[in-house]
Amino acid sequence: MTQRSKVRSPDPRVLFSIPFFLLLTVYFLLLPSCTQKEKVYRKSRILMDTLVTVNVVSDSADKAERAIDIVFDEIAKLDSMLNFFSDKSELSIINKNAGLSEVRVSQETIEVIEKAIYASEKTDGAFDATIGPEISLWDFPNKIKPDDKTIRERLSLVNYKLIHINKERSTVYLEKRGMLLDLGGIAKGYAADRAVAVLKRIGIKSGLVSVAGDIKAFGLKPDGRAWVVGIRNPRAIGNDDDIIATIELRDAAISTAGDYERYFIVDSKRYHHILDPKTGYPADECQSVTVIAKDGVYTDSFSTGVFVLGPERGMAALKEMGFEGLIVDSSGSIKTTQGLKDRIEFKKDHR
Amino acid sequence: MNLRKTIDSTTIGDRILLIFLLLVSFISIIFIREVLPKTRDVIVEVEGKIRYKYPIDTNRLVKIEGPYGHLSVEIKDKRVRVIDASCPNKLCERQGWITRGIIICLPNRITVIVGSPDGAEDRAVDAITG
Repeated sequence: MTQRSKVRSPDPRVLFSIPFFLLLTVYFLLLPSCTQKEKVYRKSRILMDTLVTVNVVSDSADKAERAIDIVFDEIAKLDSMLNFFSDKSELSIINKNAGLSEVRVSQETIEVIEKAIYASEKTDGAFDATIGPEISLWDFPNKIKPDDKTIRERLSLVNYKLIHINKERSTVYLEKRGMLLDLGGIAKGYAADRAVAVLKRIGIKSGLVSVAGDIKAFGLKPDGRAWVVGIRNPRAIGNDDDIIATIELRDAAISTAGDYERYFIVDSKRYHHILDPKTGYPADECQSVTVIAKDGVYTDSFSTGVFVLGPERGMAALKEMGFEGLIVDSSGSIKTTQGLKDRIEFKKDHR
Repeated sequence: MNLRKTIDSTTIGDRILLIFLLLVSFISIIFIREVLPKTRDVIVEVEGKIRYKYPIDTNRLVKIEGPYGHLSVEIKDKRVRVIDASCPNKLCERQGWITRGIIICLPNRITVIVGSPDGAEDRAVDAITG
């Protein structure tokens, strides 16, 4: 057999034929789209009067988009029940009927209010969802402080013990006329919980949902690492990305209450939106409080409650609940719970 | 010259060279798709619906109408900012230039997002609380 006939043997001909190379080209071109690896998909939307961002880990953009849209629908549904400013929400109907009659509401509304009462009990009333009559007096954008007399008069309407829930009839009743239930300090954390529950139910293995600063994460990112959340510097100047520390979040929620969100300064005194339910005035022992726990409904409400309690009593409340937390007190010094010390990474200048 | 004659007239060296060149092409395609950073897009959403999508590397000024009024989005030197907002607090305007992330106008329900086209990108932190 000559050298030439060896080259003509059938195998190399098939191997080196132009159709074979064409096929190979098509295969390589299609390969990345067919064997797509897991990625983080993210979408944001304005819901609950704030920015909601949903991150999901998925191997398909379509699947991720569908999942995120289901979460947006769920949060929109909760907003339609719990929005303080919407006339049609269940919450508004409860408020309009304060001192008049009980109001039949959804299971979700009952659940949030029950948990709000629990957070009030555990923080000795430092978190109180009946703060509505006081908070509605303050006009932060226009820097208007209410007069002391009105603040004092309305204090009698702030008391979580005057909320009555009848689970059998699925009703809520506020005992005094003029009472206003404001779930702004708990509903976003609850929404994050519900969002994660929805994602898990539809088969998503890992994700992170943030409803403003109330964040809940589950599973790990595609690179096998935990989700990382930054804690905002309460005295950041003009830069929202200025953070004091980062923390890895594993199947947990995190929330921060700060005196820098809605505030104004008059005569070098800062007036902000976290009011002490016992006085009607802004609590002034902290700049920000971050709480980490299993459920967003508690991180949200306890961050406010601990802020009002102040660093010392606040730390004791966190310890009693078994929650982790970070408190920046009014002087700017940072205290953390024992369990957080190994999990938190402080940025330079914030040690 | 027909196909068979062409194939027959090549040497082993030609074929190795051909395979090498093809492999380099394939690897380049995969490399460009997977490794090189994607251009960032500026996505403007009004009430949750994408209204505009522009590459960040082309300077432009876009006027956007929302349910409350208007605002303008300026894209310049790979940065984005909101100017001329009709809302009362003008928080979106005060945020200034961003190179990534989000500017939101709550009254107008407008979000201006700077990100990669598929909505995901590598970040040091996945979210910020506070």
